[in-house]
Amino acid sequence: MVAFWKIRRSQGFRAALLTLPPALFIIFFMILPLITIIVYSFWRTENYTMIPDWNLNNYATVLGQKTYLTFLWRSFIMAVCVTAISLVYSYPVAYFIAKRGGRYRLILVLLTAAPFFTGIILRVTAMQQILGPIGLINMAMMHLGLEPIKIFMYTPFATGIGLVYLWIPFMVLAIYLSLLNFNFDLLEVANVNGAKPWRAFLEITWPLNWMGTAIGIALVFIPTFAAAITPRFLGGVNGALFGNILEHEFGATGTWALGSAMGVVMFLICLLVIVAVWKTINLKRSGYTGSLIGEQE
Amino acid sequence: MAAVSRKEWAVVGTQAGMLGILYIFLYLPIFFIIFVSFVDNTVWPFPPEWTLKWYQRLTIMSDFHEGFKNSFLLGLGTACISTFFAGIAAIGLLKYRTRWRGVLAVIYLSPLFVAGLLIGISTLMFNRNILGLHGTLTSAILANSTQAMAFAFLVILAQLARYDWRMDEAAMVFGARPLRTFWEVTLPTIWPSVFGAFLISFILAFNNLEISFYNLGAIPTLPTIAWGTLRHGIEPELYALASVINFLVFFILIILFFLIRLGFVRLGYREQ
Repeated sequence: MVAFWKIRRSQGFRAALLTLPPALFIIFFMILPLITIIVYSFWRTENYTMIPDWNLNNYATVLGQKTYLTFLWRSFIMAVCVTAISLVYSYPVAYFIAKRGGRYRLILVLLTAAPFFTGIILRVTAMQQILGPIGLINMAMMHLGLEPIKIFMYTPFATGIGLVYLWIPFMVLAIYLSLLNFNFDLLEVANVNGAKPWRAFLEITWPLNWMGTAIGIALVFIPTFAAAITPRFLGGVNGALFGNILEHEFGATGTWALGSAMGVVMFLICLLVIVAVWKTINLKRSGYTGSLIGEQE
Repeated sequence: MAAVSRKEWAVVGTQAGMLGILYIFLYLPIFFIIFVSFVDNTVWPFPPEWTLKWYQRLTIMSDFHEGFKNSFLLGLGTACISTFFAGIAAIGLLKYRTRWRGVLAVIYLSPLFVAGLLIGISTLMFNRNILGLHGTLTSAILANSTQAMAFAFLVILAQLARYDWRMDEAAMVFGARPLRTFWEVTLPTIWPSVFGAFLISFILAFNNLEISFYNLGAIPTLPTIAWGTLRHGIEPELYALASVINFLVFFILIILFFLIRLGFVRLGYREQ
């Protein structure tokens, strides 16, 4: 009996030894900083120093002034559009790779993910080289004697293309990984029982893969909502988004307290989206068995 | 697929076409920029006048060597920290099935759901005002490690989920201590994913701008140099810089691809 407890205790100790340090690392270097900006958002900045003078002025500015709300709304619309486009385009692509990819599945899906690793700034540069005034498309139009396509040059539309370009790999990957564990035979069963393909999709494929899809939605929505680099280099003079004015507070003006409040607002909206999406997930219905981090047969 | 109707082929064809268009969309800009980096007439490179002068200019750019060194150190530091923590996290979670594994998994993966910009500004505020780290590589490494760790964790977890823990038990039965079991049984089996996680976190931190930017202060890295150059409009040296990084990334991705293949062969143990 004594030996039994000894083992149990040492097992628990070993588990803690392995699992706690990484958790503490994230808590200390990511979650604590987030709490810091929550605290700072109630302070004020004077001459580049934080003054603990508790007030709500920063929030009054962010949520009360029309300029800030406009930028917030623009970012939100942009994120919704980019996420929707990525979702609609990624689903058939991921479906094709998962179902028809056969032995080439791995390489096909890795090819969609690979550009992600070259980094945001280089991919935005590459996109500017295609869409910009001296970019490939416009120069080709000029050489063909056609009018330039104005909508590609420094517009919110160009920002949208750039953002889809940056984040669509996440959507493809998330849906693909979900479909990988999906039993396609279920569709045959539906077919045999007389369901039309679109009905089988709506009643079987979509709900059973909703969890992976929802993760994809969150992974595209969040960075798009916070985008600052893409609108800066592709969006032009009137294309600034919330991320840009947030960045500004931490750059030239040094009004950190206001910037912190903007960061908190951004974080809360992302959190709200995550929670809203998470609420729609029914673990049992999405075929989750807990096999990855839970029990293994 | 015994009997595939014509209608079904049309659907499959459309899907394949969409995949093809996605590849063109994703790769045309990248290959175009590599192509342009080798020509003199960068604005309309048809027909191309080949040159290497942008690369020569890049090598004499004062910031370039410094930036490359810093990016490399940032990548290496982040990769070491995040692979180590992701590794012990994945093993701890799967080997000892603690009650807290749901909460722990949420913590490990949470950085994926926080925008890079937010991690950047909040770590700037925290590291600078509370830890007293400002404008240092250390600050940037710490900030990057959280998000890189989440990616590394997923990579290791994906392969470790198929690991047979009875092998560990067997080693223990023969008297091996936990650490020795890890070195002689677990690690030799899962090393492709560990190395893969290392490379992925290296590459993420190497190319990161949104998180690093705020933590670096005036220290140049390749992405911040690119950012600075782009601010004044595109200069051809930037194409050369982008191509150098792209070559590096593709080289690493090829290694990764073979690691995954290797991983599947080795770790396919439980699945036939």
